[in-house]
Amino acid sequence: MMAREPGGRPPDAPADAARGLRELLPLLPATTVLAVLFGGAVTGALSRTDAATWRAALGDPRFWPALGFTLRVTVLATVLSAVLAVGLAALVRRRPRAAAVVGVPVLVPHLVAATVAAAWLGPGGLADRLLGDLAVELVRDRAGVGIVLVTTWKEAPFLTLLVLTAWDEGVRRREEAAATLGAGRWDRFRHAAWPAVRTPLAVGSLVVGAFVLGSFEVPLVVGPTSPPMLATLALQQTRVASLEGTAVAAVTLLVATALALLPAVAAARWARRADA
Amino acid sequence: MREPTRRGADATTAAVAAVFALPLLLLVPRALADVWRAPAVLPQQWGLRGVEAAFAPGAEAGTAVLNSTLVALGTTAVALALAWPAGRALVRLPARRRAVWFVLLLAPLLVPTYATGTGLVAWLLRLGLADTLVGIGAAHLVQVLPYVLLALLPAFGRDLDALEEAARVGGASRLRALAVVVAPAAAPVVATAALLGFVVSWSQVATSLAVGGGLPMLPVVALPFARSDPQVAAVLDLVLLVPPLVVLGLRSRWSARLGG
Repeated sequence: MMAREPGGRPPDAPADAARGLRELLPLLPATTVLAVLFGGAVTGALSRTDAATWRAALGDPRFWPALGFTLRVTVLATVLSAVLAVGLAALVRRRPRAAAVVGVPVLVPHLVAATVAAAWLGPGGLADRLLGDLAVELVRDRAGVGIVLVTTWKEAPFLTLLVLTAWDEGVRRREEAAATLGAGRWDRFRHAAWPAVRTPLAVGSLVVGAFVLGSFEVPLVVGPTSPPMLATLALQQTRVASLEGTAVAAVTLLVATALALLPAVAAARWARRADA
Repeated sequence: MREPTRRGADATTAAVAAVFALPLLLLVPRALADVWRAPAVLPQQWGLRGVEAAFAPGAEAGTAVLNSTLVALGTTAVALALAWPAGRALVRLPARRRAVWFVLLLAPLLVPTYATGTGLVAWLLRLGLADTLVGIGAAHLVQVLPYVLLALLPAFGRDLDALEEAARVGGASRLRALAVVVAPAAAPVVATAALLGFVVSWSQVATSLAVGGGLPMLPVVALPFARSDPQVAAVLDLVLLVPPLVVLGLRSRWSARLGG
């Protein structure tokens, strides 16, 4: 689907249309490739499903627990990452070396992060040995604490970098001005920094939330076998030796996709209304 | 406002490193511990069993490293070629229209990667690309292209346009202006985008598993070991960490040179 310019065409349409087209031409290869691949993925999934597979998927006794578990983990990890990101950004924003260190997990593959977490925090892990006995189960626990921990470790730094980009010199000058007027630490943050960082934080949190919702290797390594996350439930479903398995998995993944896109669509509508 | 003291800065850096960087070091003893039974804090026996098991003849890790490297290089190259013109056009658009295109181009990042992979399989089968490196690369591109585009954007803007125009006014052809003036000016950002693209492709698990058939890709080969053999998993994890470490090393060298 092509985006159409809102508000219709101006009066001298032909010249403008030609210029508009020339402006948009360089965007077409990238957009076409993504539209074909991305659209192909969605239609590919849809073409596999019919009423019977939807009934089978939604009737799978694992489906609803997986959905609830996925939503819980997603909300928890996303909120935790966002809150931590603001705190971390405040902590490291005038310390470039510390900021560089915070950026390390962003580049670490999720699989590596999960494996390292299991080696530290899993049963018989190093933390267990150093402390004698970990009082709580942190890895492969039914509550999904392991998934939340690993995801937050990876995503809070990602959001921190986004917040730091927005928390720039201009914001700092405004904070200083507020300080000379006698504003305390909290007021300076609320009135000078927060308005600048909230949009990138919100957009980043949407991406993080969508990512957690579809997370795959992290729950496979540090998550419980039951309940699964939606994406790992889909993997379990494809491992049934029949074509029906992949069709049921397609439904599960379509539900996950819809849930991931929903907040973004809502946010876009909200932003448009706020704009108008 | 108070400026951070030297000691305060060091303490902050140390605290942050203890949480976000140092835990990764556990992979080194884990990879080299042939025997490490609980509750011992140190391994009972050091050795190379993990390396030997991971890279034994017939094991898939060697091929997987090669496959993952090839796919990451190819995907990144294609993503750069597509994102370069798109990014330049994007920053010239008026803010409102730019936002619409932005959302369209970044939307794939919101879709679960396993969903993208399994959705693409049917088409790749029809095109004869299922279970091939090209097919895996195509699936990775859905993730890599948006990230590369995002990373490229800081390179574009009025400065780059002005440079190009100056070269053109001086008589350079479009191609020559690109090669001699524009590309070198944008090089650091392009390099960053390329490295990011490489790492995104290199780390893909779910897409590769979905479209790769049995083709060995490094994270897919490493995945089952995470539960079955932590020593082999640690060895493969260390290999997985090589490109990210190269990126981090280069970044700190660049920022040192820029005095940042």
